[in-house]
Formats: sequence, structure tokens, C-alpha cells
Amino acid sequence: MTSRDAPEYTRLDICKRFVASVKHSTLLELDVLEAGQDSVRVRMPYQDKLVGNPDTGVTHGGAIFALMDQAGGLANACLIFPDFEITPTIDMRVDHLRAPRPGHAVVCEAHCYRLSQHVAFVRMSVFEESTDEEPASDDLLATGLATYMRMKLPGVSKVVN
Amino acid sequence: MDALKTLVESCRRGETPYQMLIERVPYARFLGIEAVARGEELLFILPKSDTNLGNPTLPALHGGAVAGFLEQAAIIFLLLEMGEPRVPKTIDFTMDYLRAGHFRDTFAECRVTRLGRRVANVHISAWQVRRAEPIAIARAHFLLSEETASD
Repeated sequence: MTSRDAPEYTRLDICKRFVASVKHSTLLELDVLEAGQDSVRVRMPYQDKLVGNPDTGVTHGGAIFALMDQAGGLANACLIFPDFEITPTIDMRVDHLRAPRPGHAVVCEAHCYRLSQHVAFVRMSVFEESTDEEPASDDLLATGLATYMRMKLPGVSKVVN
Repeated sequence: MDALKTLVESCRRGETPYQMLIERVPYARFLGIEAVARGEELLFILPKSDTNLGNPTLPALHGGAVAGFLEQAAIIFLLLEMGEPRVPKTIDFTMDYLRAGHFRDTFAECRVTRLGRRVANVHISAWQVRRAEPIAIARAHFLLSEETASD
């Protein structure tokens, strides 16, 4: 912490406020569980409206992709904290290692492992949560790799004031 | 004959609108995807909707919503190409964001680069104003069959 007054808000506050401002993410019911120095954990509950295959009830890969994209942006915000920038995605690759089981919430861990002057580099992993009936599997559901562009908006250096 | 195969064949014959392939997928309805035939080509549309907004101040579409749109477009496109239509499973999906997705209708078209027996490679392009100015392009692999190599 610098000699400035300690901010009255935390990384978790910033992340939650950020997600709340993104309409699509609120509809995906994304919930930021943890926000660290350079990483976040974001949860997406199982929802019937996100099913991609009606015969199996498996969540659509696009919904998983959206969760991971959002989590990556939040990981950037954590590392840029206490300043705030928007970081549009440049590119992102997702590998779907196995299908999420119907009924299980999924959690994305995103880690911004390099923040250069213009670009943020992020890795993501997606796991499933347990349900009342079934324990969670330790197996990864999906992995992701993304780059984001740093956009310093004049006058918008702080998300909370 | 299974229901999906019956539906796909009916769409191919032009007796059922392609939109029916979208309507059976909850996530595709959630995004509001539309599919229309243009001659023998298939055009996908993501009509502008505030439910797909990402950045609220610009305003811009959520990158994840655009990615989901393109992934679903590729799945429908592949279903229509397959001899025995079964919902393809996404192996990997790679998205390049080229321009901001503005708050307006988005269009997409697919090109199957390779349709193998087990794996398909698809290229998808999305635009808003002009086809020649894509806002995003994607490349994906799909698993078409659970057959093992020895089958």
C-alpha cells in the first residue's frame, strides 16, 4: 500500500460491482466468490436456460466460455487494482475437457499471470461443484487461455468513488 | 428414427424452418439466435438485445454472448452437414475479437474447413455492418462421433 489512504473497498467489492454492471453476466447469475492479488474464482449455477443439448441437459459450451471470459476480465481488474481499466478481450481459446454434469454449478478460476504495458495474459480453469446428491469431481471441465487489451479511460481510473 | 434426425431432414427438404433447430436449444433461445435460409446458404442472426450487453457504458455486446452465438451457429451448421445428425460436442473453441460488438444486430456465417468422420473443423465469422468487416472470427473443433479409431 502506498502512502495514500487505504481504499475503502476491496478487490472483491470491485469485482462484484463490475459483474453487477454487466447485464449478460447478471443473467448468467455469475457470483464472484474470491478475489486475490491477481486471480478470481467465479461461480455459475446450473440453469435450465443455459442447456445446450436438450437430450442430455448439458450446459452449452458458450455459457462456459462467457463465464471464463468474464472471470479473465476480473482477474485483470484484481492485478490493476486499485486503479481501474476496462480490458476488452483480444483472443481466447477454450478446451472442453469433459462435459459438465447436469445439476452441478461450475466455478472458474482465472489468473492474470502477466500484465504488460498494453496487454494482460490470463489462464483459466473450470471445475464443477458438488450437489446434494453427487460429490464434485476433481477433474477439470475446461481450460482457457486469453489475452486482453488494457484501455486506460481518462477519468475512469477508479470504478468506485 | 430419432426426433433430431427427423427434424434435420425436414429442414433440409425445406418443410420446416431452420429456426426449429434453434428453438429446441434452451441456450440458443436465451441468446435469441435466429437462423434463416438464403437460397442454399444459412445465415445466423443475433438480434440486438440488452440481455446480451457486456460493457454498459459503450454500450457493447458481451464477448461471451457473441462466442456462444458463433458456437451454436457452428453446431446447427454441422448438424445439417452430417449424414447421421447427432449434436456435435465442442472440443475447443478459439475466438479472435477484431472490433467492438456494438449494440445492434450481429450476423454470422460458417464454413466447414474439414468434415472428418470423428472430428470437424469449422470457421465462423461474425459481422454487423459489412461482411468484409468482421467483428469476430472463430475456429473450432467438434467431436461428431464417439466411435473409437478401431470401430
